[in-house]
Amino acid sequence: MRKLQQQMKSWITKKMDLPADVLMDLPRITLVGQIHIYIENHRGLLVFSDTEVRLLLKQGQLLIRGNSFVIKTILPEELLLEGTIEQVLFLNE
Amino acid sequence: MKNQWVTVFLGYVKVRLKGRGSERFVNECVRRGMFVWNVKRIGNEALTFHMLLKDVRRLRGVRRKNECDIAFIGRYGFPFWQKRLLRNSGFLIGFVLFFVSIIVLSNMVWNVKIEGAKPETEYLLVKELDRLGVEKGKLQFQMPDVDAIQRSLTNNVPSITWVGVELRGTAYHLQVVEKSEPEKEEALSPRNLVAKKEAVIERLFVEKGKPAVAVHDHVEKGQLLVSGMYGKEDSPTLVPAKGVIFGETWYKSEVEVPLKTTFQVYTGEFFVKHYIKFGNFKIKVWGFEENKYKRFKEDAMMYNIKFFRWSLPIAYEKVSVREEEAADRQYTEKQAIEAGKEIAQQELKKKLDEKATIVGEKVLQKRLENGKLKLSLHYKVIEDIVATQPISKPDIQKESKEKPKSS
Repeated sequence: MRKLQQQMKSWITKKMDLPADVLMDLPRITLVGQIHIYIENHRGLLVFSDTEVRLLLKQGQLLIRGNSFVIKTILPEELLLEGTIEQVLFLNE
Repeated sequence: MKNQWVTVFLGYVKVRLKGRGSERFVNECVRRGMFVWNVKRIGNEALTFHMLLKDVRRLRGVRRKNECDIAFIGRYGFPFWQKRLLRNSGFLIGFVLFFVSIIVLSNMVWNVKIEGAKPETEYLLVKELDRLGVEKGKLQFQMPDVDAIQRSLTNNVPSITWVGVELRGTAYHLQVVEKSEPEKEEALSPRNLVAKKEAVIERLFVEKGKPAVAVHDHVEKGQLLVSGMYGKEDSPTLVPAKGVIFGETWYKSEVEVPLKTTFQVYTGEFFVKHYIKFGNFKIKVWGFEENKYKRFKEDAMMYNIKFFRWSLPIAYEKVSVREEEAADRQYTEKQAIEAGKEIAQQELKKKLDEKATIVGEKVLQKRLENGKLKLSLHYKVIEDIVATQPISKPDIQKESKEKPKSS
């Protein structure tokens, strides 16, 4: 059932030319060089340390690796991270 | 991120979280709508973040769910500064007192310097200044302004001709010119005394020279009274003639006295308003009475507050509101004549010197015209009629030629 819903949404966005992040609850990630990363539509903080941040998404997780991380702002669906970003990985179970 | 100024204004704290599941704690906070920023990891299990002071109470609910140790390790922003200021209020009071005392001291009179006066005059001046309230250690806006002091001193201290009052910073400088310089015995050149105007000689006292007239003589203007040349005609002795000759002289004056006059007089009712001015902006600080007077006059006195040498754009203004009233004065003809005589006498006395006396007064003519009384008056005055006239050069040359002959 859930899969069907996903497929419907994906089809509608393709056909109707709607922005995917709005309709499908996908994260929107903005990177400013290596120093800032701005994530919208996350579902909470899982792990946070100097060198690694793991965020929960609607589907799967987002892993950010780097150095000297500081969360500049955290709001229910937004997060601004500062530091030196080296990797951004999507983890799908 | 919220505007930083808002967070400073509301106050914020730095929190340290210890224990496992600190991420979950932060998540929970965020989900409850608390504003969290600057999250940092310290060591393995500790985490620090900033949050608003107003959200601190709501931390308790979060804590019940998550076992973490919370410690507040920093307090920032306006509410905390306020508290600290209250605690160190001595500091604040000292700071304010410092400025207040500097302002008070800058507006005090610290010195009254009197220059150019003899000790006696200086004593009189100091006494008069005391009466006006100009004293060391008084505030400057308690005393009249410089022009008023100057006027009052010149009017009330008879032995000075002029006094310049200047306010330099916190000191009054008085520059005095005294009336009676010690009289110098002038080295007079030979001269004659002649009549200043037409007169009848009343008294005469000749110190030096040869009188040419006698008492009750009628003299014309410019007529010789005392000659500075006497002795033999071919070798006269020349002296500066000296003497006092009083003569009766006559003056005519015309005055006009309106029978009915309307004046504006003060009723004696008044009240005072006090303002503090910041530039052009006025704040009333005292004197909130309603102005019930129909006719009134306002007198304003301004005083700029000083800070050291500088005038601040802050001023103290005192406005006196005095009630006025129209008063009618109605003269009868007799009263009008009396008033006219008085006016004429006063005007005449202004023209005459101190030694002159008025001995006779006669109304020559009176006419009533358009509600005005026109008077023509005649005065008899006894006054000094002496004028000097140096003995002319040809005379002196003649004398010097003649001198060797005689010796």
